[in-house]
Amino acid sequence: MKHIRFSILLAMIAGFTACEDTIDLDIATGKSYPVLDAWITDEAGPQEIRLTQSVTSYTDNTPAPIISDAVITLEDVTADRSYPFAFSDGAYRYDPGGDQSIGVVGHVYKLRVEYKGETFEATDTIKRVPVIDSISYKFKTAEDAQSGEEGYYADMHAKDIAGGDDYYWIRSYRNDRSNRNTDMYAINGAFNEGVADGWNFIDPLQEGITDEDKPYQQGEKVIARIASLSKPSYEFIRQVVDQLDSGGLFARVLENIRPNMVNITPNGKQKLLGWFGTSAVSFKERTIE
Amino acid sequence: MIKRMKKHLFLLMSLGCILLQVQALKAQQRFTVSGYVKDEQNGESLIGISVSKAGTSIGTVTNEYGFYSLTLPAGEHQLQFSYIGYASQQKTVNLTGNQHLDIKLEKSSSQLSEVVVSGKHEKAVNTLSTSINRLDIAQMKKLPTFLGEVDVLRSIQTLPGVTTVGEGANGFNVRGGATDENLILLDEAPLYNSTHMLGFFSIFNPDAVKSLNLIKGGFPAEYGGRTSSVLDIRMKDGDNQRLGLTGGIGNIFSRLAVEGPIKKDESSFIVAARRSYIDVLMKPFLSGDMADTKLYFYDITAKANFKLNRNNTLFVSGYLGRDVFGFGGDVNMNWGNTTGTVRWNHVFSNRLFLNLTTFYSKYDYSLKFGNESDKEANEPSQNSSWTSNIINYGVKPSFTYYLSSKNSLHFGVQGIYYTFKPGKGTGTQEGTEESVVELNDQHALESAVYLDHEYKPNNKFGVQYGVRFSAYQYLGKGTAYYYNDTTPGARRRLVDSKEYGTNELIKGYYYIEPRISAKYTISDNHAVKAAYARTTQFMHQLSNTASPTPLDIWTPSTNNIEPQVADQYTLGYFYNAPSNLFEASAEVFYKTMDHQVDYIDNANLQLNQYIEADLLPSEGRAYGIELYAKKEVGKTTGWVSYTLSRTERKTQGISQNEWFLNRYDRTHNLNLVATREFSKRTSLSANFVYASGTPATFADSRLEYQDWDIPYNSTDKRNNYRLPAFHRLDLSFTLKGRQKKRWQGEWVFSLYNVYARRNAYTIYFQQNEDDPNKREAVRLSIIGSIMPGITYNFKW
Repeated sequence: MKHIRFSILLAMIAGFTACEDTIDLDIATGKSYPVLDAWITDEAGPQEIRLTQSVTSYTDNTPAPIISDAVITLEDVTADRSYPFAFSDGAYRYDPGGDQSIGVVGHVYKLRVEYKGETFEATDTIKRVPVIDSISYKFKTAEDAQSGEEGYYADMHAKDIAGGDDYYWIRSYRNDRSNRNTDMYAINGAFNEGVADGWNFIDPLQEGITDEDKPYQQGEKVIARIASLSKPSYEFIRQVVDQLDSGGLFARVLENIRPNMVNITPNGKQKLLGWFGTSAVSFKERTIE
Repeated sequence: MIKRMKKHLFLLMSLGCILLQVQALKAQQRFTVSGYVKDEQNGESLIGISVSKAGTSIGTVTNEYGFYSLTLPAGEHQLQFSYIGYASQQKTVNLTGNQHLDIKLEKSSSQLSEVVVSGKHEKAVNTLSTSINRLDIAQMKKLPTFLGEVDVLRSIQTLPGVTTVGEGANGFNVRGGATDENLILLDEAPLYNSTHMLGFFSIFNPDAVKSLNLIKGGFPAEYGGRTSSVLDIRMKDGDNQRLGLTGGIGNIFSRLAVEGPIKKDESSFIVAARRSYIDVLMKPFLSGDMADTKLYFYDITAKANFKLNRNNTLFVSGYLGRDVFGFGGDVNMNWGNTTGTVRWNHVFSNRLFLNLTTFYSKYDYSLKFGNESDKEANEPSQNSSWTSNIINYGVKPSFTYYLSSKNSLHFGVQGIYYTFKPGKGTGTQEGTEESVVELNDQHALESAVYLDHEYKPNNKFGVQYGVRFSAYQYLGKGTAYYYNDTTPGARRRLVDSKEYGTNELIKGYYYIEPRISAKYTISDNHAVKAAYARTTQFMHQLSNTASPTPLDIWTPSTNNIEPQVADQYTLGYFYNAPSNLFEASAEVFYKTMDHQVDYIDNANLQLNQYIEADLLPSEGRAYGIELYAKKEVGKTTGWVSYTLSRTERKTQGISQNEWFLNRYDRTHNLNLVATREFSKRTSLSANFVYASGTPATFADSRLEYQDWDIPYNSTDKRNNYRLPAFHRLDLSFTLKGRQKKRWQGEWVFSLYNVYARRNAYTIYFQQNEDDPNKREAVRLSIIGSIMPGITYNFKW
């Protein structure tokens, strides 16, 4: 919240004078690590997990090399069931078949990755998620919009589930789910533990499904998703979102994001970056007409 | 601990006594001449005026209140009073007893005269202290301006040893210290946020500022509470001769000050105010979301002084500043400082001077959000707010005892009581209960007793040595938290907490801080000086961004956060050219800093009751050399400063536990300031800065994760690269109006960043907005173009 408002304030103050441009940097090639991209949801149908090598230059545009020779198993600790993920077409997949879902709210999941003779494990829990009631939008001219961009500004309406602290990751997509638009994190209906319990999501969260610099246009589809988070997964998402939004006068220094996969092999030496998380998800979409 | 302190104090007192006795044995009959030195025209007391026995090296300078005291053998003496920019005055005194002598100095008619006589005693080559820079408002006014405005903090950044992380950054760094390690005093009240508009303008109204002293090392025992520097800003007293107005109209804000006598020669006042008006000017052009946009700041500075009688003067001063920002009724934010100071100067005898200061200082912010203006009909209305503040009350009696022309003692006690309200958030939404998060209040008492002995046995050697005993007590009412020890760099887990009653001691820290500065005069124009000082700091600003924001809270030392302790050694060489044509100095410093505050990765510093679990203690070191040359007389004046330095820290859990460069490290830092007067009415000023780029942590790889490209630094080393070098040229041209009867006007035309350099403030990594498959490094320049400014200043 603080960040969002400050960005606006800063943009206003420095707007007349500040400028951004891309530059070339001479940075030594980094060391490559395996990266686990595993986020299991309660959606019905197949689930996929990616394992890639990190790309050893940020500005190198080649896709991350895919690792295909790992053994990945997901265990539903609560139900005592095991789901072997098999590699095909660039990712590790498991299909429970039909409208079945492997993710169940309240269940604890353990992911096990065997790679190059060493084994890594992490666990996460699927928490509850509220429904998204509706999406609304308003047209703003360039003069009327804070960002000075003409287009449709969409709001997402949802209400936090009352009782206890709930952690969420909110993501919006433009047109389809392969086209990520914005990301936010929330606690209850706002940003802090112990407040806004059972609230309708507050303004900055409602408005946050629109990228102010690139509002929606007529004919585009707005897709909003709320994913529930455990506390550790919330910390991870918070760090990633802050990291990716790190420009400006109050820029944060680059801090590496700690992985949660633990190498359980005695004397194991390898590091597996990335994160294993689980969520219940709810979606809503609306086309701008 | 206390016992040891007592022993040290006793030893020091004994030493002092012995020196004094030796002195006394040699004494012949001596008398004291004392009084105040003021400006003839407006009655302002003059600080740092050289008072000397003509033709000798015997002399002194006036203190912060314009008071001097000089003890000389009985008989006739020629006294010379002089200061740069003032016509020097000679007085013959015949000492047959103690004498009171007030002096009024007249501004020299022209700064243009090739050689302005100036006193020797205020020259660095003759003072005892090292690592001090003094600027008076006349000097600050000569600097090229940013958008036409004279700026106190920008002016000190031209001095050696002072840097900033970038344009528009909040705060400054002195000799490798962090921004929160500067004690910023406005008429002795500490300030917690020194800038308006997030860092673009400093909060001090130049119309109300008399002078500033920046102490970077060799701290006199009187100063404590911060480890890196003291910026001591003194307000004007106000003209006690006639009512006058000063002010200015600029493109960002306007200023107006009224000053005048309450009773001629005896008492006076000044009230100065500023307000920015970007929002007012933009209003007609704003609609929609932007209508009703509030964006402005204002400040009011006021002071009055009352001369009660020859030996008693009372000063009352205050400051109120505010930054306000908002959109419609839905977003309202404001923050600012409020201070008040009452001072009483009392001359006990013509050799014992007391200044008793009491002050109040408050910094607070408030944020309010609502959804009234853009909520839909069926939506519940909602309001939330977040407030935080720090309040201090302080009292500081300080004594100066002028024992003889060779000896003086400075001593006193100080106490500051702090209350912190780190944060309170409340929120209401129609149909739900109000929710409140309130972080616990915190309380602390910082106290000190100090003694300094200034001893100048002959005209070659001088020493000021002393000690400061600092006590810091973290007090109830409050809760103390206890955390486990974990892997360095990871969040610590709460294991216990304990409630404490009002004023109950939770944790105390006690320090002995030795201070010493010595000078040896090689010849009339050359001197070497050395100093050592230990300093401690009990207040810390928590900020893990490039530059602190107005919302970054200050926290006291607690049972988990140890006070910072710094030791600084300095050695300097000082030269004063014949006829005071110019002066030059070279100083080296070495500083170690313990318990600086660092943060775990992904630290949560906002509204977090367990914030201490996210902090890491860090050790620091800084060293460097500072070169400085200044020319104050002639048609061309100005200074050059160059600093070569390094500042690093080491934190368990960060950067593989190895030393890494601080975010504010600048290897080279060069400043050139020059002013050329063409005629009585026209002058041109230039300022050029060159500084090495600040360190930065760059990503050397990226992780593909959930359609994100996450930047990653596989070396795990912090600040392993540097931003490109920073440089900038500013110019300003002043055209003074013809002198009308009383009205004096001047136009100041300024150009900031003349060659439109895009200095990098930060560099960050992102996916291209239009094509996420393209990754790029982006440079952000806060000021990326040439910034013109016009101001009309007037004086009546």
